[in-house]
Amino acid sequence: MTTPLLSARKLEVSFEIGRKGFFGKPRLLRAVRGVDFDLMPGRTLGLVGESGSGKTTTAMAAIRLAPSTGGSVSFEGTDLMTLPAEAMRAQRKHLQVIFQDPYSSLNPRERVGAIVREPLDLMNVGDPAGRDDRVRELFGLVGLRPDQMSLFPHQFSGGQRQRISIARALATNPRLIVCDEPVSALDVAIQAQILNLLRRLQDEFGLSYLFISHDLGVVQFICDDIAVMYLGEIVEYADRPTLFSKPRHPYTAVLLEAAPSLLRRKSAGYRRAGMVKGDLPSPMNLPKGCAFASRCPKAQERCRAEAPVLRDVGDSRVACHFPLD
Amino acid sequence: MSPLMSLSDLRVEFDTRHGRVTALSGISLDVMPGETLGIVGESGCGKSITALAMMGLIPNPPGHVTGGVIEFDGEDITRASNRRLRQLRGRDIAMIFQEPMTSLNPVFTVGDQIAEAILLHQDMSRAEADRQVIELLETVGIPEPEARAKSYPHQLSGGMRQRVMIAMAISCRPKLLIADEPTTALDVTVQAQIFDLMRDIQAKFGVAIVLITHDMGAIAEMTDRVAVMYAGRVIEQGTSDQILDTPLHPYTRGLIGCIPVLGRAAASTDRLPPLAEIPGVVPPLHLLGDGCAFAERCALADDHCRAVRPPLDDKGHPVACHHAGEIA
Repeated sequence: MTTPLLSARKLEVSFEIGRKGFFGKPRLLRAVRGVDFDLMPGRTLGLVGESGSGKTTTAMAAIRLAPSTGGSVSFEGTDLMTLPAEAMRAQRKHLQVIFQDPYSSLNPRERVGAIVREPLDLMNVGDPAGRDDRVRELFGLVGLRPDQMSLFPHQFSGGQRQRISIARALATNPRLIVCDEPVSALDVAIQAQILNLLRRLQDEFGLSYLFISHDLGVVQFICDDIAVMYLGEIVEYADRPTLFSKPRHPYTAVLLEAAPSLLRRKSAGYRRAGMVKGDLPSPMNLPKGCAFASRCPKAQERCRAEAPVLRDVGDSRVACHFPLD
Repeated sequence: MSPLMSLSDLRVEFDTRHGRVTALSGISLDVMPGETLGIVGESGCGKSITALAMMGLIPNPPGHVTGGVIEFDGEDITRASNRRLRQLRGRDIAMIFQEPMTSLNPVFTVGDQIAEAILLHQDMSRAEADRQVIELLETVGIPEPEARAKSYPHQLSGGMRQRVMIAMAISCRPKLLIADEPTTALDVTVQAQIFDLMRDIQAKFGVAIVLITHDMGAIAEMTDRVAVMYAGRVIEQGTSDQILDTPLHPYTRGLIGCIPVLGRAAASTDRLPPLAEIPGVVPPLHLLGDGCAFAERCALADDHCRAVRPPLDDKGHPVACHHAGEIA
């Protein structure tokens, strides 16, 4: 059994959002509630869920870009949560991020060559004289031309900007890249270019991805393991073929049923088999039992009284009292 | 059967800082009563402009309808007066937009806003209109409609707001509903609810729908016929099955091949094969030449493609490509 590259245990993130009166107790929003996951080297772990499910907060807390309020995260055996600031900074070169919006994540006043070079300077990676060569090499890797290094971000299309973000993330030779909805802002034709590129780079450099997405088609394409999140908890955790062919949690089944697919045709009289009612409940007043019970087609008395914990069912881990066969 | 909405050879131009740019160059489309027509393409292909043209809502300036005919229910509305267009809009042709928050007025309750649409077009008292508002909110699946009618838009979730927009759109039983990316801002489960609702409403009221989307999955699930647009032209048109199963234009093939298909090879433990790619990006409209606008990104393109624009010809179904159906 290989050891995981990144492993989170009982990860918690709470935000204080105002209080009742000046002397009142602060009201807490529990955005991430006791999340466990293991990301194996060279693999891609997908965090899937709707807006407000806590997928981005989980990933950002795991690499200490957002403060966690409990739990531990170990990266190659080092506990990131207790690491002193300077030692954490030294770890940053192994942990990089690609953000969703390629328009706001690049400094508009900096030339893109300098943007990609910056991590090398900050982390003091390699010999300063050789860094421009490294930037040139990175441009080639992500499918940009070295003569574009002196341009500014606004001179590039969305897809090209995402390539620049990828080049910047790759600069320090990281072992882990957090990809936060990296293709959601792109046109479908450009999405495919970026997804293929991410997979090629993974093969070439043995990268591990923590991949955040709400698009199950994208997740099915790129992820090896998948954690489905609902209101700050993982409700199902399985490898790709297991999750997509045999969803166990009713919420996973609902997500799969909801996502449009070329295989579902109006011409063939396609009707969706049941859909959940309503929206995600407010994370401020979480119910006592299962957080999904209010929308779940299979909810029973026990679901409303007792919160299910993640347990092994078949090849999956599922947090449900009545998992699907 | 005659078409409900028909665009023939429609040409729309915009004044930009690059001079006059042709946003739609000779679009011809028919929407039949009761059917759903999908318009699909990447950002900037002209699909939203086509929708606005159907409503007579091309902003002028900077936009100009410089050619062609827009016909609704047998009436030429290309140069109809604003008065006539205002009668049609909201009553016979309704539209829902991508972002329901920006299309609702934040300082009025949603009940007031739906009632306004009703009172504008129908002869009835405010009390009757209010009753109808409750009924409409119920039709679009909003729980506790009496209470919700008194809510302001910010008190509702994105999905609820889109339901309110749909309630408003169907309040006068329109013959045509234009939906411009109605679910892009919504989560998948809410998107599914809205799609289900649109299908129910079509079955119940027989309204024709024009669905503008970039999502081929939505096309499969929702539409009867599809027009694929690229750089201001329709480049392929047919029934949804023709387009999805036997696409003839290399661009359409690319659009279908580049999306990861949910459910295909779901149980396979092998890695899924790489996605098809369409290299490059959509060319800016002011730099289009005489040839095929897609030639630069096309693996089949030759000198003929770069010199002569292919007409929309019937090759099984209408397609604008010199190499229709060929494999690279």
